[in-house]
Amino acid sequence: MKKKFLSLAVVAAMSASLVACGGSDGASGSSSNGSGTSITILNSKTEIQTQFEEMAEQYEEATGVHVEVYNADTDTTVASQVATKYASNDPYTLTMVDAKDIYSLADDYAYDLSNEDWVGHTTLGITVNDKLAGFPFCVEARGIIYNADAIEAITGEKFDPASVATLDDFKALLDKLVAGGMEKPVGVLSEYWSLGAHYFAEVYEQQPDPDAFVNSLLAGEEDLASNEKFNELMDTFDTLIAYNYAKGSAANADREETSMMLAEGQIAFMFGGNWDWSVLNQYDYTENMGIMPVPENTSDDTNTKLVGGGSKYIFVDSSDATSDEQRQAALDFLSWLVNDAEGNAFLTEQCALVPAFDNIDASALDPLSLSVKSYADAGKLIPNYNYLPDDHMTVVGQEIMQKYLDEAMTRPELVTAVQDYFKTATPIQH
Amino acid sequence: MKTNTMSYKFKQYLLFAGISTIIFACVVIIPFIYGLYLTFTSWDGVSRNKPFVGMANYVNAFADSGYWTSLGRTFIYSAIAVILVNAVAFIIAYMVTSGIKGQNFFRAGFFVPNLIGGIVLGYVWKFVFNKAFVELANTISSGHAKSLLATETGAIAALIIVSVWQYAGYMMLIYVAGFMSVSEDVIEAAKIDGCTGTQSIIHISIPLMTASFVQCLFLTITRCFMVYDVNLSLTNGDPYGSSALAAMHVYNQAFINKNYGTGQAEALILFVICAIIGGLQVYVGKKGEVQA
Amino acid sequence: MENEIAARNKKIKHAIMIIILAILFVAFIFPFIMVIINVFKVKSDITANPLALIGRHGFTLENFPNAIKKMNFFRSFGNSLVITIFSTIGTIILSSMTAYLIVRNNWKANKILFVTMIASMVIPFQVLMVPLVSLYGGIFGVLNHRLTLIIMHIGFSLSMATFMFHGSIHTNVPISLEEAATIDGCNKWQIFSQIVFPILKPTIATVAIIDAMAFWNDYLLPSLVLGRKELYTIPIATKVFYGTYSTDTGLIMAALLLAMLPILILYLFLQRYIVEGITAGAVK
Repeated sequence: MKKKFLSLAVVAAMSASLVACGGSDGASGSSSNGSGTSITILNSKTEIQTQFEEMAEQYEEATGVHVEVYNADTDTTVASQVATKYASNDPYTLTMVDAKDIYSLADDYAYDLSNEDWVGHTTLGITVNDKLAGFPFCVEARGIIYNADAIEAITGEKFDPASVATLDDFKALLDKLVAGGMEKPVGVLSEYWSLGAHYFAEVYEQQPDPDAFVNSLLAGEEDLASNEKFNELMDTFDTLIAYNYAKGSAANADREETSMMLAEGQIAFMFGGNWDWSVLNQYDYTENMGIMPVPENTSDDTNTKLVGGGSKYIFVDSSDATSDEQRQAALDFLSWLVNDAEGNAFLTEQCALVPAFDNIDASALDPLSLSVKSYADAGKLIPNYNYLPDDHMTVVGQEIMQKYLDEAMTRPELVTAVQDYFKTATPIQH
Repeated sequence: MKTNTMSYKFKQYLLFAGISTIIFACVVIIPFIYGLYLTFTSWDGVSRNKPFVGMANYVNAFADSGYWTSLGRTFIYSAIAVILVNAVAFIIAYMVTSGIKGQNFFRAGFFVPNLIGGIVLGYVWKFVFNKAFVELANTISSGHAKSLLATETGAIAALIIVSVWQYAGYMMLIYVAGFMSVSEDVIEAAKIDGCTGTQSIIHISIPLMTASFVQCLFLTITRCFMVYDVNLSLTNGDPYGSSALAAMHVYNQAFINKNYGTGQAEALILFVICAIIGGLQVYVGKKGEVQA
Repeated sequence: MENEIAARNKKIKHAIMIIILAILFVAFIFPFIMVIINVFKVKSDITANPLALIGRHGFTLENFPNAIKKMNFFRSFGNSLVITIFSTIGTIILSSMTAYLIVRNNWKANKILFVTMIASMVIPFQVLMVPLVSLYGGIFGVLNHRLTLIIMHIGFSLSMATFMFHGSIHTNVPISLEEAATIDGCNKWQIFSQIVFPILKPTIATVAIIDAMAFWNDYLLPSLVLGRKELYTIPIATKVFYGTYSTDTGLIMAALLLAMLPILILYLFLQRYIVEGITAGAVK
């Protein structure tokens, strides 16, 4: 009797627990805050997480909408994190991703933003199949970051980035710095995203027609070794390698250390972008810094331009997991970023981002962002190319460019490796 | 009380293993079967449709040279790591059971690395390799020393060092238990017969500890073959992707290159290899077991 | 005379062993020393000179309050505690019962269950990851509950724990004791709960520490199941400090120490049982 009772009790407890977890479904998706709507946002610009959270608190005070800010997971790609969230039917209301992710996610999950009031203020939004899917969060560009104080301390004259547009001039300056006591004036980040998605990507981006170029690589028809832009950029890269402070163990140069050396003037140049400011300003930095185009011995004018444009795009979830109130709150939030003075201040002052909208005043930016803005305003930005195959970063960035940086691979070997990679790569539909 | 009827057995089973079976099935078996199904689709891991493609993913997996390279690397890494982990663990276990002072303190100390989780552990070691060791070497030789993690063999060596550090303490405990189970009488008898200390270890302790060896080898082999978190946080494949082990390749294939089905198929091949090696080792070990 | 020589030899041997152990011990503890040295420095000092005892900007304690605030330490701590305790207790009760059934009854169903469980120990977690969230998030919608995570933790740790209890019951529980109890009129459940379970104490301690450690430190599974901030456990909360493009070393060190303390205390508390427990599990 007792035994029967016990087994019954066990079964009952078991089913109760199952019912309990089945029954409490839904609490997660809909608004959990009685006083107002609650929305979630995935922030994939992890360096501004703190500012984002502070803003969310103020935003809730002002509007009553609770904004929960989630930090992107650094162990996986943002795309896979978003994918798992969708697989578990628990998406973020607003998701910030890279441009290429918008193309793969928009069809299934992005809400059409064409009718929003901020559309007229930007040309950088991403449209997929007639649907405005991506809200451009900021403008970012890459080039060579310089520490003018460090240069001027040795040369004794004011540093003008335009004076080193060609590789020859750049080299001459580097030699001067070396002669003046700065043994190795350059830092090159060894991280594969920097090498693959930022530096080598310029080989495609600086082509007259990047799409055609990449397609012919994919078709195995391009002879990289004879490509002018490739050679010009790789010549410059060779120079960077030669003057790299971490030469000899380049594949392991640490980003923190390299940034520290640049901030403190132990080196004068580092390839990077305006997002690097958030690392540089952790150290004893100088304001007298800026970004200049990658020097090249070239006949076109690419050595007067930075590469960049809209960066980080936000899309609004269109699935049933998000209620209409939440969606409206999400749209209001985007509009607040563009149209409200507080929202503008969040972007430009707290996060020091170059705004992607022409109505936002951005005169109080950090030195790197000011550089980027001046190039952007002058129309001197070469657009990003967003359709590189998914494994480009790990193969070309890590397996090939890192090896080249470490001088464990020659130029002809690099050419073969890149060409071979493209022959088997899966193109991105766009 | 009848203990042979079907209904008695059923009730007993339900009482003692009912909940376990249900939870185990829900958490492990059903997802595993669903995962198996996904290897027959060309799902990219993101979109809503999961088109059925038959054996294509397995064909891709067999053609993926990167996978087989990483698997070969995993074999080398595992072979060295398994031997070192067990050798170090066995020696430490011998020393902390020989009746020296402070042996409990040492037992505790060697186990401490197990208290930190894999990912954090990798970050701490990365810091140690890249900063502390380099700094130390620079102070000693006043040059620009190269971090172990910057070279191809060095990165694998670093992974092995960290694995030894991580698992030796745990395996030590199992060997300690083994040593303690070999009865004093047997050792004493051997001594009277003229055995030296080393002889008694080789001819008496080791054969009697086969069970400990089987258990330790099974645990280290399977853990080494599937290592992911330390690989990720310590080397992340650097330099030039030369230190990516099988589990990492599988993960990248599925989630970074967005070939979910192929990645999943490769993971299943890894599982089968792992199960075969683990099973074989247990089978051989059990055969050689001495009944005390 | 001979005894004296033997005693002296033994002394020398012990001294050598203590020296070797001490050296190994320093090697084992070195990363912790690095953590402790650097936790009292600001980030720029850590980058500049990781070996210095005190950095250029001096001694600082600010990493601790910063880490506590940023990872919302007390909330995460509470979540981790609840999840670890219930998962551990659940695992111990369920796996010891299952192991008892398997050891004492030579039924086909038991054999199948046991073999499946052992085989499942070598399934790479990546294989189960996406199916798990697709099924329990996409179809049943039960993610974002602590209970779901507890059940999943139990599910994943059952195999190993059952395996350990199996060995221990096999060797350490005399069947004669149970037969005597049966004659006294005890049923199977009473035998298990009043006689067998108490004998298993050392194994229970071992399973407790091993699983509690695993649950406390687990990152991947909780990060998949618990998508809401108010549910975050310590390892998920710690991830705040690993930026994609930069890492805040000082805060990581502080978080690491904070996260380790409870499990260290538990370990010291259970330590004396552990070796006994593993003895029981290992020797079949």
